[in-house]
Amino acid sequence: MPALLFISILLIAACGLIYELIAGALASYLLGDSITQFSTIIGSYLFAMGIGSWLSRYISRGLVTQFIWIELMVAIFGGFSSSILFLTFAYTQGFRIILYFIVIAIGMLVGLEIPLLMRILKDRFEFRDVVAHVLTFDYLGALGASLLFPIVLVPQLGLVRSAVLFGIVNAAVALWGTFLFKDQLRSPQPLRVACLLVLTLLCGGMAGAKHVIAAADDSLYADEVIFAKDTRYQRIVLTRWRDDTRLFLNSHLQFSSRDEYRYHEALVHPGLAANSSARRVLVLGGGDGLAVREILKYPNIESITLVDLDRQMTDMFRSNDVLTKLNGGSLASPKLHVITADAFPWLEQSTDMFDFAIVDFPDPTNYSLGKLYTTAFYRLLAKHISANGMIVVQSTSPMFARQSYWTIVETLKQAGLQTFPYHTYVPSFGEWGFVLANAKGATYSPPRQLPKDLRFLTVSAIPELFEFPADMQPVAAEANRLNDQNLVRHYDREWRDISH
Amino acid sequence: MARHQPLAIFAMPKRSKPTQLSRREFLAATSAALIGLGMKTDKPIAGEFVNESFQLGHMLRDRTPFPAPTKKEKFAIVIVGGGMAGLSAAWQLERRSFRDFVLLEMDKQPGGNSRWGENDITAYPWAAHYVPVPNAKATLVRELFEEFGALKNGKWEERYLCFTPQERLFIHGRWQDGIEPAVGLTDRDREQFKRFDDLMQRFRASNNFTIPTQLGMDITQKPDIAALDRVSIAEWLQQQKLDSPYLRWYVDYACRDDYGAPASATSAWAGAHYYASREHEEKGPLTWPEGNGWIARRLIKKLDSYIRRNALVHRITKDKNRYRILAGDTEFTADSVIFAAPTFLAPYLIEGMPPALTKDLVYSPWLTANLTLDRLPREIGGTETAWDNVIYNSPSLGYIVANHQSIRQHEDRSVWTYYWALAERSPLESRRFLLEKDWNYWKEAILTDLARIHPDIRDCVSRLDIMRMGHAMIRPSVGFMFSDSRRALTRPHAGLERLFFANSDLSGISIFEEAQYRGVTAAQQALAIISGSQESTAPTA
Repeated sequence: MPALLFISILLIAACGLIYELIAGALASYLLGDSITQFSTIIGSYLFAMGIGSWLSRYISRGLVTQFIWIELMVAIFGGFSSSILFLTFAYTQGFRIILYFIVIAIGMLVGLEIPLLMRILKDRFEFRDVVAHVLTFDYLGALGASLLFPIVLVPQLGLVRSAVLFGIVNAAVALWGTFLFKDQLRSPQPLRVACLLVLTLLCGGMAGAKHVIAAADDSLYADEVIFAKDTRYQRIVLTRWRDDTRLFLNSHLQFSSRDEYRYHEALVHPGLAANSSARRVLVLGGGDGLAVREILKYPNIESITLVDLDRQMTDMFRSNDVLTKLNGGSLASPKLHVITADAFPWLEQSTDMFDFAIVDFPDPTNYSLGKLYTTAFYRLLAKHISANGMIVVQSTSPMFARQSYWTIVETLKQAGLQTFPYHTYVPSFGEWGFVLANAKGATYSPPRQLPKDLRFLTVSAIPELFEFPADMQPVAAEANRLNDQNLVRHYDREWRDISH
Repeated sequence: MARHQPLAIFAMPKRSKPTQLSRREFLAATSAALIGLGMKTDKPIAGEFVNESFQLGHMLRDRTPFPAPTKKEKFAIVIVGGGMAGLSAAWQLERRSFRDFVLLEMDKQPGGNSRWGENDITAYPWAAHYVPVPNAKATLVRELFEEFGALKNGKWEERYLCFTPQERLFIHGRWQDGIEPAVGLTDRDREQFKRFDDLMQRFRASNNFTIPTQLGMDITQKPDIAALDRVSIAEWLQQQKLDSPYLRWYVDYACRDDYGAPASATSAWAGAHYYASREHEEKGPLTWPEGNGWIARRLIKKLDSYIRRNALVHRITKDKNRYRILAGDTEFTADSVIFAAPTFLAPYLIEGMPPALTKDLVYSPWLTANLTLDRLPREIGGTETAWDNVIYNSPSLGYIVANHQSIRQHEDRSVWTYYWALAERSPLESRRFLLEKDWNYWKEAILTDLARIHPDIRDCVSRLDIMRMGHAMIRPSVGFMFSDSRRALTRPHAGLERLFFANSDLSGISIFEEAQYRGVTAAQQALAIISGSQESTAPTA
């Protein structure tokens, strides 16, 4: 009998420590500064345990019943602690208040456990044995928990499930207690029913943990997530609020349906409308089909080649109703050839020639993407462009990332091209930049005619796009090269400055 | 599609997490940080020792009898050894339109320290893996790179220059850019790095430190520079009152990396050479997936008809004016021999070789491993894998990513080349240790070292091949650079006329440029003698 009793003590102690560790880890994760978080949480928790121990003196009757109720409360508070905290962080402003409330509540309840247990046991054993055994197993449990937490629980289960698992352990100990101390209980049945209810609730929590994790993730985005998928290359998230659909790749905004027409018209038409003899167009990136939608407005275009890395992107934008409405079903056009490939090696092996190339890659947020903004890349691309053909490159914001923008311009120049930088305003992005480029000696003049159904661009407005106001004017820049990707460093610094 | 970070003012989500890590990444990182170790798994890792050559070396050392030759062939020049020195000698002969020669390579694949391998992911190096961008004075190297298209109209091919990010160092639990320690330094440390840089700058200005080394050594050395060879670089740092632990690590790392020797066993002259010999006109170095195998591969292709593979030379004798070279089942006769194999083998092969000539040669033992990664490990702190990844205070030299020069945006798999100069004990002890321990021992040692920076490395690696090299490279020990015995190797010897040594061993520094210089120089010397004495085979150019 004592062995089983002491195992219960060990489990209770382990549970108590796990909740404390979970609160500390979670606070460090969400708030940063792990030293402060762990110190204050351990401090409050121990202090609350002290309060609990002191309060234990006011419990005088029905010790076992009270003990079992306390266990059940710990099971609920502790078991759901990390779920509650994740969701609180995601959806409210009161994270710290709830955090310390939960820590103190659990601390007080845990502080009640050991004094009550000792008093329950004091008539069964010698007092000195009670103290020695209870405290020994208490500390052993703590050791077990402290090892289990980092080695098994966090890597294998994560914080949400670990908490629930230990909630279940607490409730199971409570249920077990109703049998262990049945001679000290007058009516164990209602208690057992309560224990089973709490156990059921927690098992439900275990099953639902996935949704909690997802819900916490969704809070990154302002609007309701209507689609989220992890592909081999990126995390694709679509959000919607009323009539505004937004696409995020790796949590970087790609477009907002409310104003993407401004971006895509500005990307495609200043270059393409200026070349009425264009027949073949290349789109690199742009798996959303929105640039293709604009290209299809030209009857003279005979074929469009779209090269995108991620098959799931193009599939999604070909089949999803919301998305095909956005791109007008452009990805189903018989003129379009979709190629799923990494752009740089694809260009290297391809012999195809094009009259216009649209380079619509994600911004150079890392060195892998930065390779697609180098002199080596543009030189290779230029080999695929016909004599009077042109390239247009989406080039981040000349306002927020001025150095980055003019670095891209300089890179195109160093690749032996002439450049025609321009910009436009897209509300969801701010001022946005593009660069048209063609071979030295070729000419460019803004188009005198545009396709009919445009929502944003007009013939007379296009020349103005090439004017840069004082705060966006050229700055000295060095080309971005494979062996010296200064663009990624500029970009990182400039956008970080803006967001802080 | 395009654009920018969600934190930018116009697209600011209502709530944003303070970190860009995803939840899963965070949990992986914290668990790793909290426990400091990865979960051991039972994922099997295949692999073996590869390119073992010491058995052949031991046969030579022990004078194992070889079968008598059954064939005879005659050439004006025989080149012994198909490493970079031998290949460069052949390259030079061929460029001078001289064709009456043969190159004997003991292995099935020439290349020596520039050997490479290949699997379905990428080609990868087995040893030498880069060449610093040569400056204008390095005319031979530039000539070769022009021939192979790496240098066009004075511009280096961008794809052969090491891509960004080049190097990173794991120090105090995080990655930093570059290998020179920058994290955790006090003002005193910084001042010492500055002083060290100034000293190296002064050495550079002396023009005594060049690549090839011979050019600078021929210029009169100021007393304080010549004196450098008489102390180790570790002692020299002490003399200069440079005792910052970061600086000492940095210098020790350079010695282990370039010479396979600790700072305490490296001549201060050689240690200074590492820093003082290079001025870069372009951000480099030059590198390729197969490392210097890229150069070897092109040389081998060009010179293929002159190369005999699996031709282990086991005896070189001289009677009257001809050399007899026994290799495999063939007896070659030659007017001149270019001995480009590792120089320590010479006493075992060459009859009449004065033993004093090689007594000062010390070689560093090395181990390299190529790890096939079926997935890439998670990166701590969201940094990107660099080409060269170094661990502060590790006995290893870190790893090189073989497919770093890929133009792909996305790579799922990789091959890492892991380098370990066994510099902690004496070369003899280390060599014995290297051969004594089995593959499993070294595999565990390598994975344990890597698990410090990549806790999940064991889940990623499917294959780990190891190459053990007892005599991987010449070591510029204290006094060696200016020793008479080193100098003697570069000159003709009584009784061994028309035999020219051509290994980078002669330079005391085992790098591509030295091997090329020694190979080309030996070829020129051999040509000069032959054209002087033998009209029939005189070169046409």
